[in-house]
Amino acid sequence: MRPALGAFFQRLPVESYVIAFTILLWLALAFLAPNFLTEGNIANMMRQVSVSAIIAIGVLCTIVIAGIDLSVGSVAAFCGVLVAQLFSHGFGLALAIAITFVVGALVGLVNASAVDKLGIPAFIVTLAGLQVYRGFALLISGGMTVAGVPQSIKDFARGSLLGLPNLFLTMLAVALTVHYVLGYTRTGRYLYALGSDAEAARRQGIPVFRIVATAYMLSAGLATLGGVLLVARLSVASPSMANAYELQAIAAAVVGGASLFGGRGTVLGAVAGAVLFTTMGNGAVLLDIDPFWEMVLEGLLIALVVYLDNLQKKRLSGA
Amino acid sequence: MVKRAVLLAGAALVALTAAAPARAADSVAVIVKATTSEYWQWVFKGAEAAGKELGVKVEELGSPKDDAAAQISILEGAAGKKPAAIVIAPTIFEALGEPIAAVSGAGVPVIVIDSGAKTDKYASFLTTNNEAGGKAAADAMAQCIKERSGKAAGKVAFITAMAGHESLDSRDKGFKEGIAVYPDLKVVGNRVANNEEAQGMSLTDDMLTKDADLAGAFADNAQMGTGAGAAIVEKKLGSKFCLVAFDADAGELEHLKDGSIYALIIQDPYMMGYAGVWYGYAAAHGARLPKFVDTGVGAVTKANMADPAFAGLLDVSKRKLAPFTGN
Repeated sequence: MRPALGAFFQRLPVESYVIAFTILLWLALAFLAPNFLTEGNIANMMRQVSVSAIIAIGVLCTIVIAGIDLSVGSVAAFCGVLVAQLFSHGFGLALAIAITFVVGALVGLVNASAVDKLGIPAFIVTLAGLQVYRGFALLISGGMTVAGVPQSIKDFARGSLLGLPNLFLTMLAVALTVHYVLGYTRTGRYLYALGSDAEAARRQGIPVFRIVATAYMLSAGLATLGGVLLVARLSVASPSMANAYELQAIAAAVVGGASLFGGRGTVLGAVAGAVLFTTMGNGAVLLDIDPFWEMVLEGLLIALVVYLDNLQKKRLSGA
Repeated sequence: MVKRAVLLAGAALVALTAAAPARAADSVAVIVKATTSEYWQWVFKGAEAAGKELGVKVEELGSPKDDAAAQISILEGAAGKKPAAIVIAPTIFEALGEPIAAVSGAGVPVIVIDSGAKTDKYASFLTTNNEAGGKAAADAMAQCIKERSGKAAGKVAFITAMAGHESLDSRDKGFKEGIAVYPDLKVVGNRVANNEEAQGMSLTDDMLTKDADLAGAFADNAQMGTGAGAAIVEKKLGSKFCLVAFDADAGELEHLKDGSIYALIIQDPYMMGYAGVWYGYAAAHGARLPKFVDTGVGAVTKANMADPAFAGLLDVSKRKLAPFTGN
């Protein structure tokens, strides 16, 4: 490759590959599937991507500090069931949601404490969480689907403002907020610093526990939000909700340019990754691709995007 | 509607329970497919009721998700404790055959419920005829389409909750065969999910995008029914689209009431748990049991959901099932 072109690729932001890929896929689908570029389908995709993007943004925060959060799917189910149980036991809308978010934040604090204070690897802590919180979801629901969700929050999940679904606007608000925190605040700089070199960060006097707690509380808090929105969308809470969402979220962040070794990753990338997966799912149905082949193709696409991204990283490091 | 064929064994049991007092150590292990689903909680509730009547301890077992390997370990662990009997709903037909045969061979009677396994070494098999359920779904859908458009004609699709599950495959087969009876109805799509509600919702959205003139869809379990119902509410298609779903959990009932689900094909999981424990107990005491019992299916619509015949099937708290001996 000519040096100028090489330099150009090196200057590309980390999320370029996933965005380019997604746009290519959109173009292909617009050409192949007559109903792809319709207002209805675009609104569908906006609703479908919202919850998974919100959860992916949370997980991204833990990946940035070289951690991981495998408990998000279970936390979404647990907090979703919790909020529905609170509703059905007569708690008011605001109070039920407030209690649920406090519980969600506590989950994050517990994860952060186990990782930072007890020194247990994040993978193990949150793998345990994956089991524990799914168990809690089952316990507080008795294994049953929980109804009794107030009409107002169902209407919120189904409604839209200025032509954009409320769910999507919520996701945008979350994305912009976390984007700002990561990119433009001291906390954000510390998150990346901790992920790049934990030892150096400690020596420079970065308040490590506070930063670790921020990452895991954001992750659990956004999983909680995802769970509440899922319940609003489905009209009920079920302990089987959000099954395997942690894998989707991690895949979205990584396809979006985040490094599992920490220090790298953006909100834009994670959202683009989530959009890519939603597009693939949507496209597979519109093109009537065999569901089993769909799984294979999705896996291969993840591998391809990450491979291209790695090529760029290698060039960056001069290898 | 829901058959009480299980009662046939009742007479045999009366004599039997009188003759053989329960041993103190008697317990029956009940192993379900996935503890995260309301359907299996109904099985447990039925099993508990039977346990109480018989004075045996009912051990409620199962992994949170459908997982054949985990279920085999649970089965082996339960058999190791030498219970009076084991009641099991096999997750995967092929995988659970050998392990069930081994447990039977070791002298613990096994009652298979809900789904089959690749063996004939069990004491009895209590199940819904899933194929008949699928056919009932096709008939309900045809009726709905006819009610709304004047003619049973158009495109329909179905959503499979998970790949490779004998009971789901039978429902789908029954549905396809049931639709084939109507010359103007055509199955145009099938998607397979990961048994997660929101995915059932997205697949329904997307199938409606692909075929905007889709007249109806069949969701083959409760998770898919809840998700598909939510998609139809969101699109406000309840009065036009004919959604038929299997089972009746709180989510599906909500969508039956709000009109987004036209009909629910209901089974009798409570009876499977209840009769499963009774049968296990009977088998442990040497009773000969029918090899196959159909616990029945029925179709519930918004119009007939208040029918008292369905009360105990739609809400377990209203279930009144006298012990076989008292009937």
